[in-house]
Amino acid sequence: MAEIISVNDGNFESFIQGSRMVIVDFWAPTCMPCRLMEPGLEKIAANHAENVRVLKVNVNENPKTSSRYFVRTLPTLLFIKDGQVRTQIVGAVNPVQIEKTLSEVS
Amino acid sequence: MDKNWDVIIIGGGPAGLAAGVYCGRALRKTLVLEKKVFGGQIVFADIIENYPGFAEPIVPADLMEQMSRQCERYGVVLENDEVQGLRKEGDSWLVDVYQNTYTAKAILYAAGSMHRFLGVPGEQELLGRGVSVCATCDAPFFLERKVAVLGGGDTALSEALHLAKFAAEVTLIHRRDKFRAEKILQARVFKNEKIKIVWDSEVLAFKGGQHLEALEIRNKKSGVVETVAFDGAFMAIGTIPNTELLKNIVRLDENGYVVTDISLRTEAQGLFVAGEVIKGNRRQVAISVGMGVQAALGCEEYLAALE
Repeated sequence: MAEIISVNDGNFESFIQGSRMVIVDFWAPTCMPCRLMEPGLEKIAANHAENVRVLKVNVNENPKTSSRYFVRTLPTLLFIKDGQVRTQIVGAVNPVQIEKTLSEVS
Repeated sequence: MDKNWDVIIIGGGPAGLAAGVYCGRALRKTLVLEKKVFGGQIVFADIIENYPGFAEPIVPADLMEQMSRQCERYGVVLENDEVQGLRKEGDSWLVDVYQNTYTAKAILYAAGSMHRFLGVPGEQELLGRGVSVCATCDAPFFLERKVAVLGGGDTALSEALHLAKFAAEVTLIHRRDKFRAEKILQARVFKNEKIKIVWDSEVLAFKGGQHLEALEIRNKKSGVVETVAFDGAFMAIGTIPNTELLKNIVRLDENGYVVTDISLRTEAQGLFVAGEVIKGNRRQVAISVGMGVQAALGCEEYLAALE
């Protein structure tokens, strides 16, 4: 069962290459909506273990990755495929909406 | 998942979850639907100090997680999904979600409210790129930077106090010459050296390219318009009730609020309301909780009468 992978400025790049769809969850410990969204993201990581990789980036510790994608609001979800951002969701959303976005961009 | 319920509660904030506890304990088959995160808007705040029963400040997300678990303890099902339509057919209420339709004997509508925006140039374009609605979420991006908070209520002052822990300077921009926030919050704001207050002023535009760079501010008394540099702007100018789904079911006032009395019933049989969808609500967790309980008890009376 796939879990959410915690990545950092150093190894981020290596995780977003390839044809697999990647969801990146930008979060911070102070962001409460981020915390409440995590169970939903865990479910998505488990349900799509074959073809979707779910990453999380703590913006406090990884400013390079967050500024590279102009992330200024949490939670922000990026949907990346072949190293390119396909779409993003800004603000708290439910797993159903994430699934919907996922099927639109896959 | 079951399609038929005794009660469907729309909205998983303080009102909806408190109602859930009471419906669950009334042994009603109860579903709570929440489109964002369970807990409602209060989980955006860093602390809550005025919820009776806690001598020390508590983390709103913790309080709301307890409320969710309390619902589940009494068999209430919590489901993350967005209601697309609500209608009545015969004695049943039909609730459309993304890929399903549920039925219920009664509806408890506690969908809360959403952030109000000014509707001025640049605001939506820069949302998420310097313009924010959540200080606890976004404060880390503004470390040692200059930010503005728009508003003068509890939310605005709490956000300013939270941001002052991160930013170099916080400017509260308020359209009046006094705040309506709790006096204790006002005292903290006045004492905080990092917080500056701009009274009697309104924001006319949000300026920037890739991210927010400045605000165009007009002093309402002098009429003088200035462009002031800011890295971030936090919106706390109030809310708009989430009552779109009720539009053709109950009478709403000119601002979209449900008008009701202490029974929290509506003119539609079996439809109860609670929390920030109601005209005259004061945006307090304790009040929403109380309203949720009141509506749930009314709902129980209604269901009992059907039997």
